[in-house]
Parts: sequence; structure tokens; C-alpha cells
Amino acid sequence: MDALIAQLQRQFRDYTISLYQQGFLDDQFTELKKLQDDGSPDFVAEVLTLFFEDCVKLISNMARALDKTTGTVDFSQVGASVHQLKGSSSSVGAKRVKALCVSFKEYCEAKNYEGCVRCLQQVDIEYKALKTKLQDMFNLEKQIIQAGGRVPQVDIN
Amino acid sequence: MTMEQEIEVLDQFPVGMRVLAVDDDQTCLRILQTLLHRCQYHVTTTNQAQTALELLRENKNKFDLVISDVDMPDMDGFKLLELVGLEMDLPVIMLSAHSDPKYVMKGVKHGACDYLLKPVRIEELKNIWQHVVRKSKLKKNKSSVSNGAANSDKANRKRKEQYEEEEEEERGNENDDPTAQKKPRVLWTHELHNKFLAAVDHLGVEKAVPKKILDLMNVDKLTRENVASHLQKFRVALKKMSDEANQQATRAAIESQLMQMSSHKGLGGFYHHRGIPVGSGQFHGGATMMRHYPSNRNLGRLNSFAGEMFQPVSSSFPRNHNNGGNTLQGLPLPQLEELQINNNINKAFPSFTSQQNSIMVAPNNLLLLEGHPQSSSPGFSPHFEMNKRQEHWSNTVLSTNIPQSDVHSKPDNLEWNAFCDSASPLINQNLDTNTTSFCRNTDFRSTNAAQTDFFYPLQMNQQPTNNSGPMTEAQLFRSSNPNEGLLMGQQKLQSGFMASDAGSLDDIVNSLMTQEQSQSEFSEGDWDLDGLAHSEHAYEKPYFPFSLSA
Repeated sequence: MDALIAQLQRQFRDYTISLYQQGFLDDQFTELKKLQDDGSPDFVAEVLTLFFEDCVKLISNMARALDKTTGTVDFSQVGASVHQLKGSSSSVGAKRVKALCVSFKEYCEAKNYEGCVRCLQQVDIEYKALKTKLQDMFNLEKQIIQAGGRVPQVDIN
Repeated sequence: MTMEQEIEVLDQFPVGMRVLAVDDDQTCLRILQTLLHRCQYHVTTTNQAQTALELLRENKNKFDLVISDVDMPDMDGFKLLELVGLEMDLPVIMLSAHSDPKYVMKGVKHGACDYLLKPVRIEELKNIWQHVVRKSKLKKNKSSVSNGAANSDKANRKRKEQYEEEEEEERGNENDDPTAQKKPRVLWTHELHNKFLAAVDHLGVEKAVPKKILDLMNVDKLTRENVASHLQKFRVALKKMSDEANQQATRAAIESQLMQMSSHKGLGGFYHHRGIPVGSGQFHGGATMMRHYPSNRNLGRLNSFAGEMFQPVSSSFPRNHNNGGNTLQGLPLPQLEELQINNNINKAFPSFTSQQNSIMVAPNNLLLLEGHPQSSSPGFSPHFEMNKRQEHWSNTVLSTNIPQSDVHSKPDNLEWNAFCDSASPLINQNLDTNTTSFCRNTDFRSTNAAQTDFFYPLQMNQQPTNNSGPMTEAQLFRSSNPNEGLLMGQQKLQSGFMASDAGSLDDIVNSLMTQEQSQSEFSEGDWDLDGLAHSEHAYEKPYFPFSLSA
């Protein structure tokens, strides 16, 4: 059993580090993890749930605002949603999503329709990718706990 | 607050500092809430600026600091910032994902104490309490600075002239029907009245001139006329009480002294010893006694208020000192004087004219306006109206007490009679009890909240609702009507001239105090998020657990 736990912990550690290295996560995510403790054991999961909900909501707002069939495109509307997504993604440490929002915002300000549509598509792909990755990470955590082990603190140097 | 009590509260600070967090982004709000909890602040959250305003307006003493996001759909964060600064004068910290300096500038211009960029780090939040301290310090400095200037001789002379000039004006006013109110009415809130008291205190009641008071108070849109009429009422009430005290004290003093001082100088010596006119001397003495105990400030106010309220009708009620309930009926001071005379006539009560001011008349319109806007004659409201209010209040309180009404650990009349008989020392006991349990709540309360010290039980019941278990309906009700309950309560005390009512009020106070204590016990150290999530349920959207299955 110990060998299994050790193996799972190693896997978990490696996987987490890779997420940082690939730019999915940044320091802010580490900070979030620090806030999780015995008093709030599911804090990170809760916050990420909220974040992904926000993503869905905001992306649909953006899509609606960029919909040419309803009339002229309201770039300020798009910009507002992008701005909010930027805020929440930076708060959870979703590095790639945040970076996308920065360029997305620039396109909005330039009223570059194609640029905005492209960014919207990318944001959609990006947040879903992150969600999958994090799900895998949480699954690993779950396995470790089920095997009777403790989830290790991963030090991102 | 006494020095010890102030220190006690400060020791806790910034732990328990009450923060209101506003952000329409639920992710950020959740994170902010957790960060603030980690700093050991007491947090209330809302994702709507409008709700935040309502919360603040409901009771401005409920929060020490506001943190708000800039971009919100229902109201611009800067607008909220402005309104909070204007109406409540609380420190506001702005939060934004905009790092653009022009936004920062905008924040500063609108009066923000600080501007934080998202993502917020906990280190930044650990120091935000400095804004609360700074703000309260500024307020104190303002009044003492203007007071210092007023002490020069030249200013004194000028003031005297002004005073005489204004005195004539006021005498003219007194000829009018004193119950007639000028329109538009100024709502003399607790906070406003406190400022008024502080100003008069600084100036000294003899030299308190409306213009000077107005300057010290430094309140926007308050006119000299508002202050003048307020001051006039206050003076009238003081005079009445002083006269009342005179008569009472003289009579009682003679009796007691004849008994005590048989071997001494006798009556002549007694009078001589007292020096100052009996009434005002005793009054000052009473004031002095009361000054020492923070709650007595309010006792004084209640008494004075009662005095003002009931002087005209007091003749219809028997002055029965044995009836405990009668004490607050409207003749509290005379009884107080009497007992002090009996106990300790030889203690030279210094005549602190300034202290006399601490027995402030809570103007009738203060309570009546807030509680019952329809009342038109604040100074002389009919007896029956008071009854209605006190019934309503006791009904209100009783109904909210239903969940825990079986907790009556204290003896029935202890507090009530103690309060009646010799207000000062025992009130202090009450306050101590309240303060300790209050501190256990790990809540920081600004000294402005001292306004309602005696009714800590009522107000404090609203505190635990934020950090204890699920909010019951009763708790919600209480927290949504803090002022009304408090004000009614104050009125109830004053109108407690019926012996039967004294008992019921006492029960209420008892059960409230014990209820509050048991609640605070529960919530002690209860910082865990689940509890908080429940209590803040009203403001947060429920979240769905992060689904681990694809």
C-alpha cells in the first residue's frame, strides 16, 4: 500500500509541476492552495467551480455581444466581459486564460472584429483544457487519499 | 469607554475588524472572503452594490471598512465609493483588475483610502486596518484642533459677543411654540448627536454657541439653525432637570443630614459644605459619577431624555421611590441625587460644568423621528403613544426571543432594580459583562457604538448572526431592525413607569443578555468557512461542488 501511495504522490507531484511549466497555472494558484486547510478542505475545488461557471457565463456574454445578427457589435460590452474574465482568471491563477484576456482586450479596444472572434474561440478552448487538467489533478489527489495517503505539498521552484 | 475597556478592545484590533466586501465576480468574492478571514477579520459579502449600500445604511456602525470592486454592473464602484464616503464616512478600499493609473487616480479623487490590484494578495490585506485607525484619528484631530483655537482670549471675547447676540436670537425662538418643528427637519442620528455632544463638551455648556458647535461638528449640510434649536432643547431640558434636582435634593438632604451630622456643624455647615447651589451641585455630582462609567453616558442621556419627555406629564404620576419601575419614569435624576446624598454627601463633587454636558438630552425628535416619523410633537409626546411603542418593542423583542426564551439564569429584578436604585456602579457591572462577552465575539466595535451601551444585549444579538450558525428568521429580523429595536428599547425604559412593565422589560433584558452570551459562546473561535458560508448565505450565490467526473 505504501508503495502505491508513494507512486501516486510522485505522479501527483510531477503532474502538478508540469501544469506550472506548461503555463496553465501560476503563483496565484499556489496561494490558493495555501488558503486551503483543515477548516476549508475543499476550498480550491470550490473556487475553481465558481471560476468555471463564470467562464461559461462570460463567454456566452461575449458571444452574444459579438453576434452580428443582432445588429451592430458592442465592443464595450465584449470588453466588459473580457475584463471580468481577466480578473477572475488572474485570481485563480489560470495563467493562459488570463494572457488570452489581455490580447482579447486589446482587440476589443481596437474594435477588431476578427481578432475578437478568434480570441473568443481560443478562450473557450483554453478554459476547457484547463478544466480537464485540473480534473485529472484532483482525481490523483482523490486516489492518494483513498489509498490512505496525504496529498503532498508541491514546491514550485 | 473607560481606559481599561478601550484598551481591551484595542488589544483585539485588528482581529475582528468588520469588513464589507463587494464584488460582482463570484470567484473573486469567494477568494477575497477567504483571504479576509485568514486575516481574522469579520467579513460580510455581497455581489451587489445596491445591497451593500442598504446594509451600510441600515446600520453604519456595523462595519469598519468597505472593500469594493470597481467594475460592477448595477453600480459603478466609484459611485458606491462616493456615497459611502458621504453618508457613512467609512474607509473604502477599491479593488480592480485595471492597473491603469488613471483608474487609480479616479479612485483617489473619489475618496478611496487605497486601491488594490487583482489578484489580491493576503499580505496586502493584512495591513488594511491602518485605514480604519487613520480615519478615526483624523476625526479626533479635527475636533481637537478647532477646539484649541477657541481657547485663546481673543476668541473668547469674540465668542462672548457672538453668544450674546445669538442668545437673543434664541430667546426669540423660545417664544414660539417649542413643539413646532422647522422644516426641513434634521434627523439627529446617534452619530450626529454624538458629534454635538462632543462639541458642547469641548466648549463647555455655558460657552457652547451654535456656530462653534457647528464648526466642531463639521457636518455637511447642517446649519447653524439646526444646531441652535437642538442646543436650545438641550438647555431647556438641563434647566428643568436642574430645577427638579434642586427641589428633591434639598428636601432629602435636609432629612439625611439632620440625622448624620448631629455632632458636626449642623445645617449651616451642611449647606456651606456643599457650596454650589444644591440642585446643580448634585447634578454635577451625578454627572461626575456617571462620567466614570461609559454606559452612564447613555444612562444620563436616557435620564435626560426621560426628564425632557416627561416633565410636563410627570405630575400625573406618583413619585413613588419604592417603586423600582418608577425610577425611569421621568424622575431618575432626583432619585439618584437622593441616594448619593444619603450615601456620600461629604465627597466633594467637583462642579464640572463640562461634565454636566455629558448628561445630554437626547432630543426627543431623535428617537421619535427614527422610530416613528409620524410623531409631530417630539417634546411632549402623549403618554399613550409611548405605551404603544413600548408594547411594540416588547412584542418585537419577545417574538425574536422565542427560540431561546427559556434561558433565564439571572434573578428577576436584579438588573432592573439595580439600575433604578443606584445607576452608576451596577450599570458598570452590566457593561463589564457585556464587554467581556462582546470581546469573546472577537468583534471590533468602534467607540461610536458606545451610543447604546446599556442596550448591548440588543445590539450585540445582531453581531453573532454574522459568524455563528444559520441565520434564523428571528435573527434576520433582528439584524434588519437594529435601530428600531434599540430606540424602542430606550423609549421603553423611559416610559417604564408602570411597575408591571418594569418586570417584563427586565425579563427581556435578562433573556437577551443570556441569549447573547450563549450565542457568543457558540460563535467563539468559530471562524470556519462553513459557518460563514451559512451566515452569508443571504448574500452569496450557492455554489456547485466542483464535479470530479467528466
